[in-house]
Amino acid sequence: MTRTILAMGGGGFTMESDNTALDDYILTLADRREPRICFLPTASGDTERHIGRFHAAFGGRHCEASHLSLFRLGAHPVSIRDTILSQDIIYVGGGSMHNMLAIWRVHGLDRILIEAWDRGVVLAGLSAGAMCWFERGVTKSTGAPTEATGLGLLPGSLSVHRDGEPERLPFFREAVAEGVLPGGWAVDDSAALLFRDRDLVRVVASKPGRGAARIDRGGEQELEADLLGTGPAELSSMPVDIAEYRLHRRARG
Amino acid sequence: MEAGNPLLDDHVLSLGSARAGWARSEERPRVCFVPTASGDADHYIVRFYRAFSSAVCEPSHVSLFRRDRGAGIDCDVASHLLEQDVIYVGGGSVISLLGVWRAHGLDDALAEAWRRGIILCGLSAGSLCWFSEAISAFHGTPSRVEGLGLLPYSNCVHLNDEERRTAFRRTIADGELGAGYGAEDGAALHFVGTTLTDVVASRQGARAFRVDRHGETPLAARFLGTSPVALVA
Repeated sequence: MTRTILAMGGGGFTMESDNTALDDYILTLADRREPRICFLPTASGDTERHIGRFHAAFGGRHCEASHLSLFRLGAHPVSIRDTILSQDIIYVGGGSMHNMLAIWRVHGLDRILIEAWDRGVVLAGLSAGAMCWFERGVTKSTGAPTEATGLGLLPGSLSVHRDGEPERLPFFREAVAEGVLPGGWAVDDSAALLFRDRDLVRVVASKPGRGAARIDRGGEQELEADLLGTGPAELSSMPVDIAEYRLHRRARG
Repeated sequence: MEAGNPLLDDHVLSLGSARAGWARSEERPRVCFVPTASGDADHYIVRFYRAFSSAVCEPSHVSLFRRDRGAGIDCDVASHLLEQDVIYVGGGSVISLLGVWRAHGLDDALAEAWRRGIILCGLSAGSLCWFSEAISAFHGTPSRVEGLGLLPYSNCVHLNDEERRTAFRRTIADGELGAGYGAEDGAALHFVGTTLTDVVASRQGARAFRVDRHGETPLAARFLGTSPVALVA
């Protein structure tokens, strides 16, 4: 079973109402033609606004869209584990990484998400919902950028909103240079990193000019993104796994 | 914050005024709303400011999900809480509430506020959280939850709900839960230190109970309103 994570630096329905490319791409990552996709808005405090936008964005697509609100389980009591494990895709929204992980832990949802990943459920998310899968992240939950510990499914650190919130990047670079954070990636809004198991296999973007960088103590390497929705016809009609495999091989030479 | 019934809120404000008087020689109490258990829901915060307007107190609120940390806060959240006369905790998910508080160290700040004589109040999850343990039905079947433990008893709210009341009595009778206090909607338990000193109600007939292994004992509740005057024709 291949384990899949799509980590977005920003973008998707909560940030780009005019551009559905990243959300469309998320749906292609599941094996099922009409995947079951569940939105986890924990990091925002389960705001009605985000939940409403999710259903507006995914309600009309070829998928079964639902959301899990931990703050409203009183009104809709469900088994958290059954709900998560019956999905093809989990889509984690942005907000406070600090609060989100604290809430997941008290509900045991951290362990359930790891189980879901192991079973091949696609984990996708932006901002806090992207950094949470890595060992460490750069959060602004409490104002100024500071390091935060994630679930550690993916090795290294992630910093998000590279272009949209530029104050994160210098903090990230310095933290990596000083060894406070392990090396990792900085990702733009509208760009995303696709991991199969623990390996980065593809960088994608919904807008031109957006990408990511690998940042290590020894230096930085800019990673170019494949622009979604406008790629060569050969690639867009090719099953996504094969396309990635070819790109991966090409990248390795 | 009951719709159309300000009795409990007025009671909280009068307790707050007394505290403002002895602590700071002021009349207007500082009241801070902590809506964490609702995920800092905007509509709940609006309701707080309607009920606790600046006409009757110095209101503020803490939002742990927003980068601005809330409104009326010009220092860190813990220091702000320690400057209040009343800390009003809203309802919602008690499990999420305690998880987020612990992540922010607010559990310690609230215990310190309590030791300093700041009035801690709240409804539903905002009541359960102060006790050692509680029965919460928020996640489906009523189950045991560990609270902050300022009050060394168990607690159950919305006791007019028969399922909860039965679960509360049964878990205490079985020894799974220690002895404690339960309240129906509209009834409030007032503790000074760890001693229950008053039971008040915003609705006539709203009840509270002391529950131990032997069963439940009704507690005399004081109705905060004036009884309707019988008109003589």
